[in-house]
Amino acid sequence: MDLLNQIIRQPIDPDYALTAAVGSQEPRGRWKLGVLAMIIGALFAVAALQTTRAAPAQQSERSELISRIQAAEREQDQLRGRVTSLTEEIATLRAAALGDDDVARSVESEISTLDPVVGNAAVSGPGVLMVVDDSPSASEDARDRVLDIDLQVLTNGLWEAGAEAISINGHRLSNLTAIRSAGDAITVDYRSLTRPYRVEAIGDVRTLQARFVESSAGAWWNDLAQNRQMRYEISDVKQLDLAADPGIVLRHAGRAAS
Amino acid sequence: MIPLVGLLAGIVIGIVLEPSIPQILQPYLPIAIVAAMDALFGAFRAYLEGIFTDRVFIVSFISNVLIASAIVYVGDQIGVGSQLATGVVVVLGIRIFTNAAAIRRALFHA
Repeated sequence: MDLLNQIIRQPIDPDYALTAAVGSQEPRGRWKLGVLAMIIGALFAVAALQTTRAAPAQQSERSELISRIQAAEREQDQLRGRVTSLTEEIATLRAAALGDDDVARSVESEISTLDPVVGNAAVSGPGVLMVVDDSPSASEDARDRVLDIDLQVLTNGLWEAGAEAISINGHRLSNLTAIRSAGDAITVDYRSLTRPYRVEAIGDVRTLQARFVESSAGAWWNDLAQNRQMRYEISDVKQLDLAADPGIVLRHAGRAAS
Repeated sequence: MIPLVGLLAGIVIGIVLEPSIPQILQPYLPIAIVAAMDALFGAFRAYLEGIFTDRVFIVSFISNVLIASAIVYVGDQIGVGSQLATGVVVVLGIRIFTNAAAIRRALFHA
């Protein structure tokens, strides 16, 4: 407190009193004072200008970034659409190349069995729709938010319960799909999701929901819904349409034994 | 009179010419301004008390600005820049307030 007292008691430079006591006032040197006052004024003006300039610049930088992200997402959508159409073309070409003998027919039937399972073909059918979301108090407590592991547990539980195809917010899952957190958002196949999370699963309607609720994933989500007040709704749906996963690529190919 | 004219001229020059401050010096501009305000108010009070001297004002102004900026610079290097900047602003702010109150008393006798 001594420091503050001293600041308050002696607010002007003690040198003023000293030089005044000596009495050596020189009248020349007024121009120096003027120059200094000019510098101070310029300092004020520059600082004020910079502060007012910086605000819109930051704003425009931010909106510029947002529009770039949106453009990139649009481009990604276009590319995904192209992937889908090319995949269809591949399927037609493959059918043409295989020809029409017994071996070809067995290969074709194997392909048509495996394609929906691995997520390479669009599928539709009855299933369950689950809607999960952060709890209303998520802004206060980060633990009330849906995490990537919650969605991982959910989808694994659905596979376990006998789901044949799953998509989250329209992103079809395959066994190569990554569900991860990136910043504030959860990403599926590196695309960020917006809340709420809609998980669609095609499977046997008679058993899917019951088996899911009985599984460890069901217990996990029951706990989240009861203790963290997260949204957790599950319902049967007669008709679900899931698109193919555009992220599947051909990794290995070999010449068929003829 | 000369200082006031100088101050106004400086503001006009700053607005018209818009000299660009180097990026390295930009964080110290606000602190330098607070130090300059402290020197200005101190000088005005000394002027009212009749003990004003050009030389003391110029020296106190330059040293104030340099020391305040140096404190913040050192703080930035050791990771407590914003805290030290707050300290400088508090100390100089107290002085500015005290001087402004004294000036008000001297001018308006209230």
